[in-house]
Amino acid sequence: MNELQDQVLVRRTLRGDKKAFEMIVRKYQQPLLSYVGRMVGEREMALDFTQDVFVRAYASLRSFEPRYKFSTWLFKIASNLVIDHWRKKKLPTFSLSEPLGQDGNCLTLDVPDDELAVGLKFELAELRQRIETALEKLPGPLRELFVWRHVNELSYEEMAEIKGLPLGTIKNRVFQAKEMVRRLLQEMS
Amino acid sequence: MNCFNINDIYDYIEGSLSPQQRRELEQHLSACSRCRRAVEDRKLIAGAASGLPPFAVPDDFTDRVMARIAPAQVKHRLWLIILASASSLLALTAMMMIASGRSALGILSGASHSFWEYVKSAAVLTAKAATLLTLAGKTARPLFEAVYKGLSVLTSFIHPGLQILILILAMGLVVSLFFGMRKKFSLGD
Repeated sequence: MNELQDQVLVRRTLRGDKKAFEMIVRKYQQPLLSYVGRMVGEREMALDFTQDVFVRAYASLRSFEPRYKFSTWLFKIASNLVIDHWRKKKLPTFSLSEPLGQDGNCLTLDVPDDELAVGLKFELAELRQRIETALEKLPGPLRELFVWRHVNELSYEEMAEIKGLPLGTIKNRVFQAKEMVRRLLQEMS
Repeated sequence: MNCFNINDIYDYIEGSLSPQQRRELEQHLSACSRCRRAVEDRKLIAGAASGLPPFAVPDDFTDRVMARIAPAQVKHRLWLIILASASSLLALTAMMMIASGRSALGILSGASHSFWEYVKSAAVLTAKAATLLTLAGKTARPLFEAVYKGLSVLTSFIHPGLQILILILAMGLVVSLFFGMRKKFSLGD
C-alpha cells in the first residue's frame, strides 16, 4: 500500500504536479535526516545534504524504475552523497564486500566469551546516549548499516539492493556492526 | 552441547532461525548461563538502538526544498527531445509537401535541370512554403509540446521493450500515412 502510494506520487510528479513531490518530501524528510545526520555528524550540513537528496531525486525522477522501491532509491541517492562527502573529507572508508583490515580480528563472530554485559549496566536513556557516542566511532560503512537497520528499520533485502551486494554479505556486516557497537560500549563502561 | 556462534544468536534475536535451530538454541540456553547472558545483553542493546531519537526536522524544511526545486525541472531525456523534434518536423514536412504537390525526388531532380528552371521551381515552392511556414510556426510549438508531453506520460508507464515496439509501429504508420496521402493527392491532380 505504502509503496503503491509512492508510485502514484511519482507518476503525478512526472506529470508536473509539484504538490505530489511535496508529499514525498514530507514523508521521507524525517527518516532521511535521521540517517544523514548520523552519517555526517553536523546538523546544518545534514540539513543541506538532505535537501540535496530531494533536489537530486526530483531532477532524476525519470530514471527511477518503478520495479524498485522508491524509499530504497532515495536512500541510495543519500548514500552516494554521504560517500562522496567521506571521500572529499578523506575520511576512512572501505568496500563492504572486501574483507575488513587489521580490525577484522575484533569483529570475528565467534562464540560468546566471558564478556561483560553492558546492556544491563545502564539505564535505557544512558544506554541510548552511549550508543550514539559509539556510533560516532564506528567506521562509516558499518555505521551506515547499523543506522539503516535500527533507526530506519530497513530490511536486509532493501540494504542489499541499495548497496548492490549479496544478502549474506550485508547480513554478516550488520552483525559485525552490532558487535562492534557492543564492544565499544564495553570499552566505555 | 557446544555454544552457538554470535551470528546464530543475532538470528535468534531477530527471529530468523529455523524452528529446529530455534529449539536447539533454546535448549542450549536453558543450560548455558554464558550464552543466556550474551542473548540478553544483545537484546537490550538492540532494543535501545531501535529507539534512538529521530533528528528534529525544522518547520520550514519542506518549503526550503520546494523553493530549490522550483527553478529546477525534471531532467528531460535527450532521446525523447530528438524523437519529439523529429516527429514534429516529419509531420510539418509532410503537410508542406502534400500541400505544395511537389515530391522530394522532384526537388532533387530539379537540380539536374538548368539553373533557371531550378530557380523558378524553387521560387514557387518557397512562396508556398513561406505561407505554410507562417501557419506551421504558430502550430509547431504546441505540436512539439503535445508530442513531448504525450511521449513523456507514455514512457513513464510502459516497459522499455514495449516502448521500442510501439515506436517502430508508430514510425511505420506515419511513413505509410505520408505515402498514402501523397498518392491520393497525386491522383487528385
